[in-house]
Amino acid sequence: MSATTTTKPPVLGRRRTGSLAWHLGALLVLAIILYPVVWVVGASFKPSKDIVNSLTLFPSHPILANFKGLADGIADIRVWTFFQNSLLYAGGAVVGVLVSCSLTAYAFARILFAGRNLLFSLMIGTLLLPYHVLLIPQYVMFQKLGLVNTYVPLLVGKYLATEAFFVFLMVQFMRNLPRELDEAARLDGCGHLRTYWSIVLPLCRPALITSAIFTFINAWNDFMGPLIYLNEPGKYTVSLGLMMFRDSDGVAANYGGMIAMSLVALLPVLLFFLAFQRYLIDGMATSGLKG
Amino acid sequence: MTLVKDTVSAARRPRPAATATAGRPGRRRDNLAGYLFMSPWIAGFLLLTAGPMVASLYFAFTDYNLFNSPKWVGLDNFTRMFDDPRWQKSVEVTVRYVVIGTPLKLLLALGVALLLAQSRRGQAFYRAAFYAPSLIGASVSVGFVWRSLFSDGAIVDRTQTFFGWHVGGWVGNADWVLYCLVALTVWQFGAPMVIFLAGLKQVPRELYEAAEMDGAGPFRKFWNITLPMISPVLFFNVLLETIHSFQIFGSAYVVSNTYCGPADATLVYTCYLYQQGFRNAQMGFASAMAWMLLLAVALVTAVLFWSQKKWVHYEEGAR
Amino acid sequence: MGTSRNLERRTLLKAAGASAAALGLATTAGCGGGSGSGDGTVTIRYSWWGAEERAKKINQTIALFEKKHPKIKVKTDFQTYQSFWEKFQTQAAGGNPPDVFQNAVTFLRKYDKRGILLDLKSQAQAGNLSLDHFRAGVTKVGQVDGRQLGIPVGSNTMALVIDKKVFRKAGVEPRPGWTWDEYFKSLKTVHDRTKVAGDTGYFTIMYLYDLYLRQNGKAFYTEDGLGFDKADLTEWWTDGYNRVKAGIVTDPKVVQQDMPKSSLSAGHGASEFTWDNFTVRYSAEGDSTYGLAPIPTTDGKHTGQYLASLMLSASAHTAHPREVAQFIDFMVHDPEVGRIMGYDRGILASTEQYGAYRPADAVNKEIAQYEEDTAKSGVLGTITPHPSGADTIEAAFLRIGGDLGQGKTKVADAVKQFFTESEAAFQG
Repeated sequence: MSATTTTKPPVLGRRRTGSLAWHLGALLVLAIILYPVVWVVGASFKPSKDIVNSLTLFPSHPILANFKGLADGIADIRVWTFFQNSLLYAGGAVVGVLVSCSLTAYAFARILFAGRNLLFSLMIGTLLLPYHVLLIPQYVMFQKLGLVNTYVPLLVGKYLATEAFFVFLMVQFMRNLPRELDEAARLDGCGHLRTYWSIVLPLCRPALITSAIFTFINAWNDFMGPLIYLNEPGKYTVSLGLMMFRDSDGVAANYGGMIAMSLVALLPVLLFFLAFQRYLIDGMATSGLKG
Repeated sequence: MTLVKDTVSAARRPRPAATATAGRPGRRRDNLAGYLFMSPWIAGFLLLTAGPMVASLYFAFTDYNLFNSPKWVGLDNFTRMFDDPRWQKSVEVTVRYVVIGTPLKLLLALGVALLLAQSRRGQAFYRAAFYAPSLIGASVSVGFVWRSLFSDGAIVDRTQTFFGWHVGGWVGNADWVLYCLVALTVWQFGAPMVIFLAGLKQVPRELYEAAEMDGAGPFRKFWNITLPMISPVLFFNVLLETIHSFQIFGSAYVVSNTYCGPADATLVYTCYLYQQGFRNAQMGFASAMAWMLLLAVALVTAVLFWSQKKWVHYEEGAR
Repeated sequence: MGTSRNLERRTLLKAAGASAAALGLATTAGCGGGSGSGDGTVTIRYSWWGAEERAKKINQTIALFEKKHPKIKVKTDFQTYQSFWEKFQTQAAGGNPPDVFQNAVTFLRKYDKRGILLDLKSQAQAGNLSLDHFRAGVTKVGQVDGRQLGIPVGSNTMALVIDKKVFRKAGVEPRPGWTWDEYFKSLKTVHDRTKVAGDTGYFTIMYLYDLYLRQNGKAFYTEDGLGFDKADLTEWWTDGYNRVKAGIVTDPKVVQQDMPKSSLSAGHGASEFTWDNFTVRYSAEGDSTYGLAPIPTTDGKHTGQYLASLMLSASAHTAHPREVAQFIDFMVHDPEVGRIMGYDRGILASTEQYGAYRPADAVNKEIAQYEEDTAKSGVLGTITPHPSGADTIEAAFLRIGGDLGQGKTKVADAVKQFFTESEAAFQG
């Protein structure tokens, strides 16, 4: 991406001491930033009683009981069920965002039509709109339609390109593709659909990948949507399943199980991050900059 | 150069590419194609954004409680809101959260970005590692972790006590618990940092070299070159982070054990909205609250846009 | 450009209008609960609040029911108490409440007022459900104006749970008929000798304040409002706050911190007022041994206690009232169900189940003993009526009392706030 390839950064502290201080500073920030993540790994191997009060990061006698407890599930629901549900939700969201946002972005970036600029402004406007204004009427609407306790309210917006951020990201990307490609395609007799499918989409792969990963992670982490729309524990996503470990009615939560489940719930996101961090960071960087 | 400038001018400015195609035949077909491609978005906009906005504006002036059919009550919800100490409290909590958390987060993001920009060795690694919290920060897992870390006798308490300032756990303490949430948002400084870093990379090196020849020190260089050059990126970050902060919900809900307490100390605006709407079924009141939030966010956005004329420098000739 | 933009604006407005109309249209389409299928098998939905342990037990009882009634399938879902009522409310408003659900006295009138609850008396008359064989007085809890809106599954009563080890260490012995003065003096002794706060926050518990008011000839509620005035509450909360400051009552900061654990089981308090059947939680959570003690009194005799109860209620919208009634009947009378559930939802309410379950562990034995003793001592009165809105008021009492304990509000402001919120709740 062009944003990352322009000029070099200002080179200032070339001297040894400067370099040492630089690394010390960076490592200090790193230690503080990563502490919670390392902590949760260590804590998941501690007995419940030691989790809060023991300061040693990794227990001298690690136990697997917390994870074994996960294998038993919670309230006759297998933990895997939550993961399946989250995968379904996140996967469905990814497909929806990729299809609907890229179509919309193509129209904004590559087709001239009446009212395009107005619609583009409206689209950007929704980016700044607080979701809570829509929350209640949307809830009422889905409730009247009998769609509460289904995944429809959670997913429908993804298929209708309401994720303005990704539309915007793709528009930015498509605008930077050379115009000549379309012209050539048109001379070959390609309609918009062919141009979109065979020429623009393949070239947009980086933007599509970035959008897909962000969508996946956002859906995976989503809390308020499932909290409001899902009623049945068997339909819960990981976020809500996790709350079940904390929740108590009569008996306090299984603290060790909760921490172990927290770790397991974070793993997919962390793995995604390790695998695709370049796409994520470049995507993030380009959202603020136009190449 | 930036989203924001682009956004503002998109409606007015003809694009070079656009003018090129404008005169061609087949404009009608383009209209049809354009709207066909746009149809999912248009449907989504009407059904999920515009329609609900109209509905929520209407609800805001009714006594709708899910069970009754909405009855027009004029400004009642708004007057009730202004008289309601809990609403005032939620505004206070949210404003404190935004005003303390956002600048801290952005300062840290900018500081670390400046640090990282100085060297290429290890930069990619640090950049990735610092960015990671932004991805997981919104998860319920991290909410739990946070609650644990800020409990009595956990690391934060012990460190603080070690420095002779004993407070105990922050999560149960009405005076401190909000800072626990502030810490959580500051921890996610990676996202704005990455944007700052990208902005810093675009500052032409020649400018620094020229300034060095004039004998400018690091501070002068930062103030006279770096800051103006990255001001569009700074503006973008301030705008987005502020708007996001106003809408905080999940972390407050999870860290406070779903009660947004103690003593309403984490009763952020959306949390009160949730309580009124979904716990007490006061959908009319909650809709009125949502519109106040919308107005507040719009106001802040407008003020920021207005102020950017004074401090945001756009490169001449940027497209 | 000008014309095309105008045109577009018009289409947009039109479309917006259409979507608004669609929204309005949709409001008329409701959804019935439950379902039937070709072979005569019906499915009913059963919702309740609770956590993992209860879920496992209930799943067992449902398997039992389905075996005996192969034509009825039961679908369940559950949440925690608070989420349960949030979800229930929105479902009920949408005309789609569960066919049968767990209920409590605080919600009875609220949902009766909204026409959600089925009068089960007609089902009893039709022979689908028996209202006989209940322990004395418990069915009254589910009655409103002569209608039977809930069938009790278990009864409970407010009690005082103490950390026996701490009390023993402090040399304090609770006794029946002790007065509040004696109680608070004991707490002070506990605190002086063991450094543990005596109580975890009595003054924020609506049900306890109700007992105190009942001891003084009042009650928390009348049929349609609050049964006490600002002066009463000012006194109650002022004393409470002073006791926090004196260290006799656990610092609310600590209580918050300990959540979801109770401060009693966390060792930050020596006693706690709660429902007797909740005692189980302390033994599961904490390291000490816990026991039940009598409620302090004003006159040395009357505790103000009454039997409350968890109930099963049915939706007035259900498509299968007969099957729902059969289900409730099975759940409250079947001895095997009683053996599975134990005292999880209170002391079993029907005599069949009460007789079938013999608690094996010390804690449950003590609960049974406590309720028997309380009944025998003749202190039990009629339950205080809970007007519509009582649920919101209970939450407000707890929250505002907590704010007060943190020193965040003055007593006068807290009392005023509570009365304002109560008024709104009664109207809502």
